[in-house]
Amino acid sequence: MRSHAMLRENAMGWLWISPWIVGFLAFLLVPMVLSFYYSFTDYPLMEPPLWVGMGNYLRMFGDDKFISSAGRTLVYAALAVPLSTVVALVIAGLLSTRVRLAGIYQAAVFIPTLVPMAASGMVWLWLFNAQYGFINLLLAKVGIQGPGWFTDARPAWSMASILIVGLWGVGQAVVVYVAAMHEVPGSLYEAADLDGMGPVRKFLNVTLPMISPVILLNVVTLLIGAVQLFTVPFIVRAATPGGQTSTMTFYSVYMFDNAFVYGQMGYACAMAWVQLVVVLILTGLTFLASKKLVHYRGA
Amino acid sequence: MSVPDDTRPTHAALRFTRRAAIGAMVAGGAGFALFGPRGAKEASGGRIVLDYWEKWTGHEGRAMQGVIDRFNDSQSRIFVRYLVTAGVDQKAMIAISGGNPPDVVGLYNYNVPGFAETGGILPLDGFDSALVPRQEQYAAGVWPILRHPDSSGVERTWAVPNTGGTLAMYYNRSAFREAGLDPDRPPRTIGELDEMSRKLDVIDGDGTIRRAGFLHTEPGWWSWVWGYHYGGRLYDRPSNTASFDAPQNLRAYEWLASTSARLGPPRVETFKSGFANAYSSALNGLLDGKVAMVMQGPWLANVIAAFKPDLDYAVAPVPVSDELLDPASPIGLVESDILVIPRGVRHPEASMEFIAYTQRQDVSETLARAHFKNSVMTQISAEFVRDHPNRGIGVHNAIAKSPRGFLAPRSRDWLQLKQILDDGVPQIWNHTIQAPTQLAAMNRQAQAVLDRSLDVTRRRHGAAPGKGVAR
Repeated sequence: MRSHAMLRENAMGWLWISPWIVGFLAFLLVPMVLSFYYSFTDYPLMEPPLWVGMGNYLRMFGDDKFISSAGRTLVYAALAVPLSTVVALVIAGLLSTRVRLAGIYQAAVFIPTLVPMAASGMVWLWLFNAQYGFINLLLAKVGIQGPGWFTDARPAWSMASILIVGLWGVGQAVVVYVAAMHEVPGSLYEAADLDGMGPVRKFLNVTLPMISPVILLNVVTLLIGAVQLFTVPFIVRAATPGGQTSTMTFYSVYMFDNAFVYGQMGYACAMAWVQLVVVLILTGLTFLASKKLVHYRGA
Repeated sequence: MSVPDDTRPTHAALRFTRRAAIGAMVAGGAGFALFGPRGAKEASGGRIVLDYWEKWTGHEGRAMQGVIDRFNDSQSRIFVRYLVTAGVDQKAMIAISGGNPPDVVGLYNYNVPGFAETGGILPLDGFDSALVPRQEQYAAGVWPILRHPDSSGVERTWAVPNTGGTLAMYYNRSAFREAGLDPDRPPRTIGELDEMSRKLDVIDGDGTIRRAGFLHTEPGWWSWVWGYHYGGRLYDRPSNTASFDAPQNLRAYEWLASTSARLGPPRVETFKSGFANAYSSALNGLLDGKVAMVMQGPWLANVIAAFKPDLDYAVAPVPVSDELLDPASPIGLVESDILVIPRGVRHPEASMEFIAYTQRQDVSETLARAHFKNSVMTQISAEFVRDHPNRGIGVHNAIAKSPRGFLAPRSRDWLQLKQILDDGVPQIWNHTIQAPTQLAAMNRQAQAVLDRSLDVTRRRHGAAPGKGVAR
C-alpha cells in the first residue's frame, strides 16, 4: 500500500517536471548529441551527413580563417574580461559610496544592458562613424582626427571599437558588485579606519577580498560571453560592405558562416565543440587561479 | 490543544487541484496538437494553398503580391500565399533539410549550384513540357543562371528568373557639366574613367574629399567583379581551378589600388563612412552628390525616384580595359532573382503552374517595371521600354542580352570564395598588402576551398558533378 503511494508520488513528481525534461531533451541534450555526431561528418544540410572521421577537426589546423578568427577572439577575451571587470568595479566602487541619487546613477548604468545588442550595435555604428560620428566629433573638438574605428585599416582600432561597445553592457556586473559591496560588514571598514587606511587601500584590502567570490562569478560569465562574441561584429560586417570587415570575423561569426551561409554544418559543429572545450579549459584555469585569490567568508 | 488550520487545503482539495491542473495541461496539449499553428494546405473552396517565401518587402513586395493576386484570380485550383522571409536562402536550406519546405522559394542566382548539387530543389525539366522554361525565352546572360548539372553530372534546368538585374554605371550629369565634361559622353574605357574621375574629384587644400569621381568601394557589394572588366575570370569550372591571380585580375586590382592611392586610403575611408550605410536613403553617395559615378544595378533608379527624383542622371555600361571595348557587346555582371521548387513539396505540379505563370511576358514585364529592373526575356515589348521608370533600362537590357555578360562563378562554394575576396580586397584598397601578394594568397585560400569541396563531393557521389557552365 505504502509502496503504491510512493510510486504514485514519484509518478506525479516526474509528471510535474516533465515539461522541463521534454524541453531539455528536445532542445538541449538531443541537439548536443547530434551536433557531436555531425562534427565527424560532412553535412551540407540538404544532403545526408557523410562520415569524415576527424576530418573537420584536422581541417581547422590548415584553415587560415579559423586560425585568425580564433586568435582574434582570444585576444578580445584577454582584453575585454579584465577591462570590463576593472571598469565595473570602479563604477560600483563609486556608486556604493554615499553619493546622492545613487539609485539614478545605478539605473543609468544598468539601462543599456536592457537594450538588445542588435539595436545598440546599429547605434554604435553611427557613434563610430568616421565622418559624422559623435565620437570623432568630440575628438575633433580637441584637435584630434579620429580613426575609422570599425572600418579602420588598422586592426587595433576595430578591436578597440568592439571593446568599447562591450563596455556598454557592463551595467549588469556593476549592479551585482554594488549589491556585494553593501554586504561587506561595516566592522571591517571600522577596523580599517583604526588601522589608518585611506579609501583606496580599504577598497583594495577590504572590499575586493570580501567580494572576490562575486568577482569570480562575473569573470567566468564575462569570459564565456567574450569567447562567444557574435552580435556586434556580425552587424558591423553586414552594414559595411567593401570595408575592412575581415577584422569583424570573430570565432562565432565564422562558425555561423559555415553553418548557415556555406552549408557546412559538420564543420560548424566541430567548431562549436572546440569552442566548448576552450571555454571549459579557460573556466577551469580561472577557477584554479582563483584558489589563492578568492576569499570565501567562513572558509 | 492545537487549533485546526482552516487555511490548509484538505487532501481531497489537493487531489482535485492536481487533477484539474493535469487535465488542463493534457487538454492544452491536445488542443495545440489538433488546432495549433500549422501550414493550412487547403483554402476554403478546396483550393491547394502554396506557401511562397520571398525576400522582398515594401514596394518590391507589394509588386510581387500584385502578381500573386492576379494569379490567384486567374484560376480556382491554387491559392498562393506570400510570406516575406529574411535570410530566405538560409531558412530555405534549413526548411528543406527539415522536410517541411515552402512550396515555392525566391532565391538568389548564386544559390542554384548549391541547391541543385545537393538535390535541395527539383529540376524543372521533369514537369509538363508546356510549362518548362526554354532557352529561346531568355536573354543570353540569364539562361545559364537557370542551368546546372545535378549530382550525377547531367545538366538540367532548376529555376525560372523572377526579376533580373545587370550592373551598369550610373552617373550624375550635373557633376559632369560642373567638371566641364560632356554629360552625353560617359567613359567607356578604364583609362577614360580615370581621366574623368580626376576631373570630377573635388578635394580641399587639406586633402579632405568633398566629391569623388568614382569609388570602387561605393557601394562595395561586388569587390570581385573588377577583373572581368579586364577580361579576367575567377574560376574555371571544368578544371575546378581558381584564377584570382590571373594577369587580367592583377591589372584590375592594381587599378583599384591606384584609385585609393590617388585619394589617400585613410581620407577616402573617412569620406566614405559618411554614406557607407545609406544606400536606400537620401544620403546615398550618388544622390547626395558625394560620388559622381557608381557601379550599380537597376534598383538604384527606384532609390533615386524615392529620394531624389530630380537627380539628373544617366546610365552607361561599366567601362572596360581599352582592348575589350566593343559598344555593341557590353561587359557587365548579369544577376537574377529566381524561383525554385524545393524538394519535398506536397504539390509540385501546382508550384510549377504558379512559377510558369510568372514567366508570361506580360507578367514578367509588369514585375520588372515595378522593380525598376531590366527584362530577363529575349522578347521585350515596346511598351516595356517606353513606359519604364528607369531611364537606363536600355543599357541594362543590352547587358542581359550581351554575349559578354558574365555570371558569378557557378560553384556551390561561391559564397566562400566571395568572402575570401570581400575580406582580402579591402587590404589591397587600403594598401596594407600589395595586389600581387594578396591575389596569390587569396588564390591559395580559394583553391584549398575548391579542392576540399571536390574531395568531399567525390567521396559522396563517386565523381564530381559535371562541369561546364562557367562563362
